[in-house]
This record gives sequence, structure tokens and C-alpha cells, in this order.
Amino acid sequence: MCLNNVNLNNENSNSANFNLAELPTAQAMSGQQDLPGDFAIWIFIFAEMLVFGVLFVAYAFTRAHNVALFNASQLTLSLTSGTINTLVLITSSYLVVRGVAAIKQDLSKQCAYWLTGALLLGGVFICIKVLEFHAKFAADITMSTNAFYMFYLSLTFFHFMHVLMGMVILACIIIKAWRGGYSTQSHTGIETGASFWHMVDFLWIILFPLVYVIR
Amino acid sequence: MHNARPQSTRLSTIIWLILLALTIATFSIGEAGMSGKNTMLMLLAITMIKSQMVANYLMALRQTKMIWRIIMLAYFVIVGGLIALAYLMGLS
Repeated sequence: MCLNNVNLNNENSNSANFNLAELPTAQAMSGQQDLPGDFAIWIFIFAEMLVFGVLFVAYAFTRAHNVALFNASQLTLSLTSGTINTLVLITSSYLVVRGVAAIKQDLSKQCAYWLTGALLLGGVFICIKVLEFHAKFAADITMSTNAFYMFYLSLTFFHFMHVLMGMVILACIIIKAWRGGYSTQSHTGIETGASFWHMVDFLWIILFPLVYVIR
Repeated sequence: MHNARPQSTRLSTIIWLILLALTIATFSIGEAGMSGKNTMLMLLAITMIKSQMVANYLMALRQTKMIWRIIMLAYFVIVGGLIALAYLMGLS
């Protein structure tokens, strides 16, 4: 919360105004800061992480009872596609970091460029995933084929929806940044969207080795 | 609003490159068809390093209160630990 030029008496008083923004806070003095962005997004992030965490563990324990089936089914996945998607998401997260750094220097247009790069990479992720889904559906593989595909399709589709949601958020932020709606002093919206996008990356970083690699 | 001192561009770039390298390492392990307890533990270790790098440097939790970093680490220790346990059950 930022309170500037708060008059502690009343608006018409001639007494001195105190610029509270200039006073060092206990947090600033200790070098510790609040979570980036709106705190509400962090409630959402932790809730999403919990849901994905339960699904990851459920996958692992279901696999423990069907090791041969899971290993055989896992071989039908494209490790290359999964790896490219991981590289794409990590790079898009890096571009978002650069976008946040740009707005902290009041460079709105540069911020919009960095975020647009991240958005385009999100599009690349979506395209690769759609191709993967198409290949599976073309081979008559559905969620009811076996337990592995049930987890693979539900986990990756659930994550896919989060990528789409993150892209919508990024698009909204880009438009506002392009119009000069953020500044060094006011960029909570960008940090909020960035935190969500990094969460999408964070979850994929666990999902990728779990479903595509570990056997 | 988060007013932490901006993380240097150079550090962010180094973290990004390390994340890419670790992803290639994961791919190489998968491509080589490696499996078993040690491979599983190595892959989980790589994943833990990557996830904590994302949390601390990309999400910028490194500049926040310790409790948030502990939560992110605890998340991976619990989820990763249970995944390891399940895989060990599968091996036996």
C-alpha cells in the first residue's frame, strides 16, 4: 500500500505534510520485500500447486502398481516435443523477467516487447501440445485407454488450460503496458501476471520429467 | 507492490542458461533410456534444482521473506519425496 503526502490532521490544515513513501519501512530496512504482485494471485498459485501436487503424487502411486504398463505407454510419448516445450516455457519465463525489469526502469514499450515475446512462445507451446494431442487422438488413444493415458491426458490438458489462461493475462498486460498504463511506481499488474506465468513454468518443470522421462 | 531492488539482467540470463542446460541434461538421460533408482533420484535432484531456481530467481522469491522460500522448498521436498517413495515401491 502506498500512501503519499498524507495529511495527518485534515485536508485544509496548514500543518506539515508527511510523505510516508519516503519513510523506510521495517521490511525495507531488513531487506525483505512482499511477494511480487497482488497477494490474491499467490493464494491462487498455492491452491493450484496443491492440486497439481496431489495429481503428481497420485500418478506416481498409481504407476507403482502398474510399472510395466506405464513404462510401455510412456515410450509412445514424444520426448523431443516435451523437451522443446520445456525449453520454450523456460525461455518465455525469462522474457517475462526481462519485461518486469524493463517496467521497473519505466520502459513501457520495451516491457511490452519482452512480454510479447513470452506470449508468442506460449503460442508455440500450445501448438506443439495440440500436435501431441492430435497424434494421440488419431491413434485412438483416449483417457479411458489405460491409467497412464488417463493421467497423461488429464495432467497435460489441465496444464494446457493454465497456459491458455496465462496467455490471456499476458495479452491484457501487454496492451496496458503498450498504452503506458504501468510505470516504475505502479506495476503491480505486471508482477501479478508474471507470477502466474512463472507458476505455469514451475509446474511444467515437475510434470515433464515425471510423465516423459522417469521410468 | 513489490519494490525489491531489481535483479540484474546478467544474473537472470545466467539462471536461464543453467535451466536450459539442465533441461538438455534431462532430455539426454531420457533419450539414453536410463532407468532405475539412481537415475530416478538424479532426475528428481535436477528437477528440484530447476524448480527452486524458477521460484527464487524468476519468481523473485529470493528477495522476499524466508517463509515463502521455505514453502516452495517444502512443496518440492514433500511432492518429490512422495514421488520417490512411489517409484521405490514400484521397483520392489
